[in-house]
Amino acid sequence: MRRRASGGTGAALVLPALLLLAVLTLYPVAYGIWISLFSKHSFFPEQSFVGLANYLAIAADEEFWRSLRLGLVYSLSTIALQLVLGVAAALILHQSFPGRGLVRALTIFPYVVPTVIAVVIWKWLLNAQFGLVNHALEAAGLIGEPVSWMGHEWIMVSLILVSVWQFFPFVVLAVLARLQTIAPELYEAAKVDGANALRRFIHVTLPQLASVLFVVVLLRSIWMFTKFDTPWLMIQGGGAETYIRTLPVYTYQRTFAWYEAGRGSAMAVIMFLMLVAAAAVYFRLWRREEKL
Amino acid sequence: MLRALAVLALLSLGLHANAQQKVIRVWHTETQPNSQEAMRNIAKRFEAKNPGVKVEVEALAWGDLEPRIMSSLAAGSPPELSHGQPITCAALQSKGLLLPLDEVVSAIGEANIWDQVKRVCRVGKSQYGLVHAAGTSLLIYRKDLAQKLGLKPPRTWADLIANAKAFSAQGMAGITIPGDNLFVNILLGELIKANGGVLFDKQNRPQMTSKQMIETLEFIRELTRYAPKGWEGHGYLETFTNLYGQKAAMMYQGYGRGASLIEKGAPKEMANADTFDVWVKPHGPSGKEPAAQVDEEPWMLFKGAKNPKEAIAFLKFFYQKENYLEYIQTVPIHFFPITKSLRADRDYQATPMIQRWKSWIEVQEHYLNKDQGKPTLVVDWEDMNSKPYLMEVLGSGIMRDMVMEVALEGKPAREAAARAQGRLEAMLKPKGYLK
Repeated sequence: MRRRASGGTGAALVLPALLLLAVLTLYPVAYGIWISLFSKHSFFPEQSFVGLANYLAIAADEEFWRSLRLGLVYSLSTIALQLVLGVAAALILHQSFPGRGLVRALTIFPYVVPTVIAVVIWKWLLNAQFGLVNHALEAAGLIGEPVSWMGHEWIMVSLILVSVWQFFPFVVLAVLARLQTIAPELYEAAKVDGANALRRFIHVTLPQLASVLFVVVLLRSIWMFTKFDTPWLMIQGGGAETYIRTLPVYTYQRTFAWYEAGRGSAMAVIMFLMLVAAAAVYFRLWRREEKL
Repeated sequence: MLRALAVLALLSLGLHANAQQKVIRVWHTETQPNSQEAMRNIAKRFEAKNPGVKVEVEALAWGDLEPRIMSSLAAGSPPELSHGQPITCAALQSKGLLLPLDEVVSAIGEANIWDQVKRVCRVGKSQYGLVHAAGTSLLIYRKDLAQKLGLKPPRTWADLIANAKAFSAQGMAGITIPGDNLFVNILLGELIKANGGVLFDKQNRPQMTSKQMIETLEFIRELTRYAPKGWEGHGYLETFTNLYGQKAAMMYQGYGRGASLIEKGAPKEMANADTFDVWVKPHGPSGKEPAAQVDEEPWMLFKGAKNPKEAIAFLKFFYQKENYLEYIQTVPIHFFPITKSLRADRDYQATPMIQRWKSWIEVQEHYLNKDQGKPTLVVDWEDMNSKPYLMEVLGSGIMRDMVMEVALEGKPAREAAARAQGRLEAMLKPKGYLK
């Protein structure tokens, strides 16, 4: 009797959370999947059932594949650079030096700046005519003529630079937290064995960071692959849009510029499935880590 | 206790009064501070004359307006009045979402409105969109340099390229054009018209692979050779910076609004029409006459709006001389009054900026009088009512991609045109537009 009563209480306590989950998460996802089976105008009540036609059209749409490729270039480059820069910065910030607290706080600054402000500032800095970046590069004799950072040859590079600047502090935070928990005895033992700084990094630091780096890579992969605001803001008011039209941007355009909610939903479902696959890997690794 | 009850009673009275108040929501795209102020002043004067009516004026950037209109319509709570692209107006009218503004037209006097303006968003004898002010795109050039080089006004595209080449020998770009989607679409619409072609035929079949389009793409490829490096990343304002910053000698997609930018940004001795003047645009090898884009967004009155009668009263008030003149004078070279009476009015003519930039006004009048100006992507006035998909075409960026493939990636014009043709057909067919 007692067990049944506590079971009922438990279910009652869980129910609000389940309802919230159903209303806020499951329903939108299910509705998105349902809409992807329709040819539907984004704003007007015009729709007709088309089955899997949207998915077949996407498979045949070269712009979809192009945007997927651009999205992969963008996400893989930014993740690699964030990792290198983030780990390097974390290693430096782990050392003792005067003003370390201030430098640590400043390092996190780009991560707390709203994206819209970060992009506007960077677009000024990178402006081909009056931007500080070109001015500095010219003054240093590194370039002979201004680089058109928002032009088709450089806009992907600009987007990657802005994104790395904005998101590498996340890597710094995660790695620095882990660095602070590595036992100093491990380094002392390695020193006694005659390991130099590089060897200590390879044989002590990196293995200790492996678990956190796995998680960081997975999270950042998911976030960068679905990143919409930064590329979208980069092309507003002038910018070689075609050359940074990543999958989230193209999905948005299909939905709100072509007014094709069904097609847009189908693209969102495809992205969702990709993310589910990535999340599955993430959880698998996380569980293995827990067992260890 | 009594005090609390009194406060509650007063509050409820206030709420009741607010509930009685009729609100006219007005969305417009004139974000310049002085234009915003003029709109607010007009709203205040209207409120003073119409107790119980409140006008909520909101200025929105172009990029924000269309999604906001669409989402407000989807939510069933559109504003009373809003600006919009002429093709948006046509699309919304075709779906039965707009109310006619014939009462406003009658109040102004139909004969008092320029015929060209009345063609925007008019179906049968009803006016579903009423232009707030008209202006056309302009080919702006460095008059001082042209005189020095002995350059003549370009009659054909070949002349324009020759001029661009001559200017570029002066150590600056020969021409500057914006690279963003809207302006590339505007450019293509103008050029195809100036080359005697169309974007879509009467069966709504895209005409990207036509002879006129191929010639147009080849012209853009040649012309952009004289544009600043990275022009495709330049927005509208940057192209003006190129011009008054002496980095480019011509600007193909200029507008009268730019005269204010020149007055603000160019060195004082250069900020005048003797240095920056306008030419009538040239025509293509298969065309006979120039073409420009008219920037004439109409006011639209939405069917689901709560207070349409009050909105009509507000629009009538807006077009009254005192109010309309105040509005027009905020951007005098770009805002042409839609009424003949105000254009002939002494107060309007005496506007100092109009005196300073007279030649810019004259060229715009030339386009409007000869009906050489059409809204974005509209090649023939009939397109306004027969092609309600132009809004989607603009948003898709397909034609921009085609231009960029030719101008930047060196793709043969036929190849890029064939790809765009296929993409446009694939877009229009499922929507049932292709006949």
